[in-house]
Amino acid sequence: MSADKIVVSGFRHFFQSDSGPVQATGQIDLTIREGEVVTLVGPSGCGKTTLLKAIAGFIAPTEGEIRCDGRLVRAPGRDRGVVFQELAILPWRTVRRNIAHGLEIARVAKAERDKTVERLIGLMGLVGFEDRYPHELSGGMRQRVAVARTWAADPDVILMDEPFAAVDAMTRLTLQEELGRLCATTRKTVFFITHSVEEAVFLGDRVLVMTRRPGTIKATLDVPRHGKGGRDWDSFTGDPEMRAISEQVMHLVHAERV
Amino acid sequence: MIGRLVWRLLPAAPALVVLAAWFVYWTIVQPPPSVIPSIPDVVRTGIELAIGGRLLGDIVSSMGRLLGGVAVGVATGLIAGFIAGLCRPIATFLNPLVVFFNAISGIVWLPLVIGWLGIGHALATFLIWNTVFFIVFQNTVLGIQLVPEVLEHGVRALGGGRWETIRSVTLPGALPYILSGVRSGLGFGWRALIAAELVGATTGLGQLIFSGSEYHRADIIIFGALLIGAIAMVMDRWLLAPIERRTVVRWGLVATSRGR
Amino acid sequence: MGRFRDLRVLLPFGLTIAIWWGLKAGLDISDKLLVSPPRVWDAFVVLATRGILAEYVSTSLSMIGIATLISFGFGVPLGFAVGTNRYAARALEGFLRYLQGISGIAWLPLAILWSGFTHTTTLAIVIYTLIVPIVFNTMTGVRAIPENYILALRSLGASRLRIVTDVYFPGALPSIVVGTRLGMGYGWRALIASEMLVRQGGLGDLIFGARTFGQIDRIMVGMIVIGTLYIVVDRLLVQPVETMTLARWGVLRK
Repeated sequence: MSADKIVVSGFRHFFQSDSGPVQATGQIDLTIREGEVVTLVGPSGCGKTTLLKAIAGFIAPTEGEIRCDGRLVRAPGRDRGVVFQELAILPWRTVRRNIAHGLEIARVAKAERDKTVERLIGLMGLVGFEDRYPHELSGGMRQRVAVARTWAADPDVILMDEPFAAVDAMTRLTLQEELGRLCATTRKTVFFITHSVEEAVFLGDRVLVMTRRPGTIKATLDVPRHGKGGRDWDSFTGDPEMRAISEQVMHLVHAERV
Repeated sequence: MIGRLVWRLLPAAPALVVLAAWFVYWTIVQPPPSVIPSIPDVVRTGIELAIGGRLLGDIVSSMGRLLGGVAVGVATGLIAGFIAGLCRPIATFLNPLVVFFNAISGIVWLPLVIGWLGIGHALATFLIWNTVFFIVFQNTVLGIQLVPEVLEHGVRALGGGRWETIRSVTLPGALPYILSGVRSGLGFGWRALIAAELVGATTGLGQLIFSGSEYHRADIIIFGALLIGAIAMVMDRWLLAPIERRTVVRWGLVATSRGR
Repeated sequence: MGRFRDLRVLLPFGLTIAIWWGLKAGLDISDKLLVSPPRVWDAFVVLATRGILAEYVSTSLSMIGIATLISFGFGVPLGFAVGTNRYAARALEGFLRYLQGISGIAWLPLAILWSGFTHTTTLAIVIYTLIVPIVFNTMTGVRAIPENYILALRSLGASRLRIVTDVYFPGALPSIVVGTRLGMGYGWRALIASEMLVRQGGLGDLIFGARTFGQIDRIMVGMIVIGTLYIVVDRLLVQPVETMTLARWGVLRK
C-alpha cells in the first residue's frame, strides 16, 4: 500500500458575498494516495473547483485542514502543479518558453531544462510548434502546452480543473488518451475534476462523485485497471466492466440534477 | 458590514486626502491667499460668484458655445463620415488629409482664426467644431466599415435594396462607434472650449479662470477648474453614458460603456 | 508599388494646396487673413535657414520628451500599484476620470500664479495631461490580465517579483503603450496651448507671437510644422511599438 499524499479532513468552505457568507461546499474528507489518479465528478457549482483551489493553496479553507505529505497546505507550491480549464499559458511566451517556465523559476540549469522541454514536446505531440505563440495554436494544442508545462516542472501532485472542457470533442478523445498514458508512465499523483462521467471513469483509478451545492462526496468507486495500464477508448468502450461502472456513476450523478 | 461601508465610500477617498493635505498645509504654512487660498475661501468665492450672477452667465455662454460647436461638428462629421464610410475610394483619398488636419485640430488654429473671426462666439465655435468634426468623422467611417458584410448580405438576400440595407443594417451596426465618437467628441470639445476661452473670449468659464490669474485670485481659478471638471463629469455620466447604455448596450453590442 | 502609394498620399495635399491657392487668388483675400502657398514656403525657408525654426522645434520636442519620460516613470508604477490592488483601483478610478474632465490647460492660470511664465509651468501642465492616460491604461491593462495566469505561476513556485516581471509587465505592456501614445497626443496639444500663453519659446509661442505682428505666413509655417512633427513622432516612433506589442501577443484582448 502506498503512502497517503493528500489528506483533506473536515474541509468546509464559505464565500463572502454582499448578503453574507455563502456555503460553497459541505464537509469533505478525502485521502489521495501516492501515484493514484483520482477523478472527481459532480454537477456544476457543486464546489469541486473550490476544493481543488484549496488543495492548490490558492484559497484558505474556512474549516478543516489540508495536508500534503503530512505538511499543512498554506500557499501554492512547486510540489502541487495545476492545469486550468483555459487561459493559463502566457500569450507572450512561445510554446518552448511556456513549457520551460516552471524550470526557469526553479533555476534549473539550461542544458537540463532544454532536455526536459524537448522530451515533453515530443511526448505531447508539439514537435514543429516549439517557436509558435499560443494565439497561433488551436485550443487543443494550447492545452497540450499547459499540460506539458505542469509536467515539466515535475511536481509530486498534479491538480487538473476540467482541462479539456473547452476543447472540441474529437481532440478531447486524443488528449484524454495521451493524458492516460502520461499518468501511467510517470506515476504522478493526479487529482482531476470534471463534469463528464466518461472522462472520470476513463482516467481515474478511483472516481469520486459529489452532490450538488453545497457539495459533499457521496460515493467512491474503484476502477480496476487490468494489464498494461494503458487506456484507449477502443478497449474502454468494448469493456463491459467499464460500462457497468460508467452506468453506476451516471446514476449517482443524475440523482443530483436540479 | 464595515467592510462594505468602506468599499462604498472608497471613491471619495482621494478627494478627502487632497482636501486634508490642503487643509494641513494651509494651517501650517499659512501661504498668501493669492497663491494658495484656504478651503473656506474657495467655497466663499464660489458662493459669491453664484450669487453675483457672473457664474451663471459664464456657464451659460460656455454651454452655448459648446452646444453650437458640438452640434455643427457632429452634424458635419456624421454626414462626411457617412459619405466616406459608404464609398471606400473617398475614404482612402481623404485619409491623409484627415490624419494631418486632425493633428492640428483645435487650439492650433487659434492664432490664424482670430484674424478671421475676431474674439468671441464664432471663434470658440470654430475651434470646437474643428476638434469634434475629426473625432466624429473617424469614428463614423470606422463604424460603417466594420459592419460585418455577412449582415448586409443577409438583408440583400431577403430582397432589401441599398437604402433598406443602410437603414436596417449599416446604421445600427455603426451606431456604437458613432456614439462613442460623439461621446469623446464632446469631451474633447469641452477641453478645446476652455482653451479657446482663455484667450479668445470675453466671457465663459475659461475666461473666468483666466481673469483669476490676472487678478491673482487663486481661489477663483481653483473653484473654476473644479467646476469645469464637475460639468464635464455630469455631461458624460448623465447625458451621454445613458444614451449609449439605452441603445448600444441593450443590443449586446458592447459589454460596458467605454470612453476615457 | 510602394512608391506609387507614396504618391497617392501626396495627391490630396496637392489638391488642398491648389484649392487654397485658388481661393486666395480668386476671392482676392487680403494677406492679413491668408497668404499664398509660395509666401508660406518663403517664410519656411527664412525660418529654417536662420535656425529660428530649429530653436522653436527643439524647445517643443524636448518639452514633450521630458514630460513623456517623467510621466512614464511615475505613471507606470502608479498604474501597477493601483491595478494590482482592488481597493486602490476603486478609490482612484472615479478620481482619475474627474481629473480628465479638467483639461491641463484649465490649471494653466494656477500654474502661472505658482511658478510664473516659465518652462516649469508648461512642463507641469503637459505632465498633468500626459500622466492620467498612462496611469489609467496601465491600471486597465493590469486588471485585464486573467487571474489564471497569476495562479498558474504561483503554483509553479513564482515569487511576487517574478509574477510582476513575467506576467504583470508583459501583460500590461500593450495597454501601457496605448496609454503613452494617447497621452503624447493630448500632451502635444496641451504643450502648444501652454506655450501660446507662457511665451517662453516653442512652436505655440512661434505661432502666437507671429499673431501679434500679423505674420500670417509664420503662423501657417508653424501650424504645418506642428502637424507634421506630431505625425512623424506618432507614426514613426510610437505606432510601430504599439503594433509590435499588439501583433506579437495576438489576441490577448480585443
